Amino acid sequence: MKKTISIVLLILVFFIIYFIQSNFFTWFTIAGIEPNLFVIFVLFIGLFAGKKLGLILGIIFGFYIDVIMGRQIGISGIMLGVVGLLGEYLDKSFSKESRLTIMLMMAGSTIIYEVGCYIFNIITLGVSVEIISFIKILLIEVLYNLIIAIIIYPLIQKMGHALEEVFKSRNILTRYF
Amino acid sequence: MYKNKKRGIIGIVITIVILILLVVFTNSNVNQMSYIENICNIFVMPIQNGFTYLKNKLSGNDTFFADMDTLKQENESLKQKNSELEQSLRELEVIKSENETLKEYLNLKEKYQDYTTIPADVINRDISNYSSTIVINVGSDDGIKEDMTVIADSGLVGHVISVTSNTAKVQTIVDTATAVTSTISTTEDTIIVQGTLDDKTTLKATFIPTDAVVLEGDSVETSGIGGIYPKGIHIGTIKEVINTSNITDRYAIVETAVNFNKLNTVLVITN
Repeated sequence: MKKTISIVLLILVFFIIYFIQSNFFTWFTIAGIEPNLFVIFVLFIGLFAGKKLGLILGIIFGFYIDVIMGRQIGISGIMLGVVGLLGEYLDKSFSKESRLTIMLMMAGSTIIYEVGCYIFNIITLGVSVEIISFIKILLIEVLYNLIIAIIIYPLIQKMGHALEEVFKSRNILTRYF
Repeated sequence: MYKNKKRGIIGIVITIVILILLVVFTNSNVNQMSYIENICNIFVMPIQNGFTYLKNKLSGNDTFFADMDTLKQENESLKQKNSELEQSLRELEVIKSENETLKEYLNLKEKYQDYTTIPADVINRDISNYSSTIVINVGSDDGIKEDMTVIADSGLVGHVISVTSNTAKVQTIVDTATAVTSTISTTEDTIIVQGTLDDKTTLKATFIPTDAVVLEGDSVETSGIGGIYPKGIHIGTIKEVINTSNITDRYAIVETAVNFNKLNTVLVITN
């Protein structure tokens, strides 16, 4: 029951993030570059609720974004699924209690997501390869995501622990003792 | 032991499902997904419409504070311009009728086709940094179909890539996946203009013929080759010609006539 409510809440949060991204961040940009809140959100789910939910919700959210705005359906779905899956493996290797590791995880997953999407686009849509421009945009985007991660870190911690209690309550004991 | 075996089977099943999904998605036509798109749009678009309305209202208010004097001056110059335009219009009308009679004499059946257009508002912009698509508030209910050309008052915007009952997704010409075959209006040389990641107001013109003379300020328009865009729609002007050591590699930067950062209303050509 608690799990169902949590999942419904997560979906609701996704829609709120969608509206923030498409209305607020399309003009609140760094040199015309928007952040990618979806990567942060899906990584958050993967980190605190486990890879299963991270993968499934990542694929659903990515698919939704593709249907609404994308040129090709499926690319964001696959890559956000990968980010969700990554969450659990990062959780096993690093501590979530440190702000720095959370920031590095956010940066890493943003890079993986965007590079993956770009490679898919080059293969499927015949986009011309512009590596220097791509890196320039990517660096700004990563920086933007880092800034957002710093800002919402307390929220991530609070919501994350609540989420972890619902989804991983049995694992905590075996992990720490 | 048993657990590992079970895990292995699950892994294989997941791999197969991913493979099937990959095949389905990469081969499927976006338009076939329109029923899913319809359902997805139900959650987002009504609220998005509201936000756009609010935004337009807020930005529209700025004009109230415009200086009266400049308005008067503008009015004067516009009146003058209007009379000049009216005069040239009359002249053109005369030429047009003359042209038509001449064409009839020549037994030419085809006349200049006037485009019929449907106006639309931009209700959603791309949320990715690497692509440039927009969503407009007209759809198949208004007679919009895939591959229709979208223009703004000053020039070409792009083409429709998918349609739902009351929205349509438009891939703009500044998108990196778009390439438009176009001509330089003064010399009639064919070039290809493509969107770049660098800038959302410029295009890169490539495949310039080696004997072509390209000058800054030349107008670029669609050539009609390729089947999507009709002939003669203004795209932009050449801003800069970049010469490389090899003349076949030279390219030009084209500044788009449409300002994509401030694009609010567009027209869809339906015939």
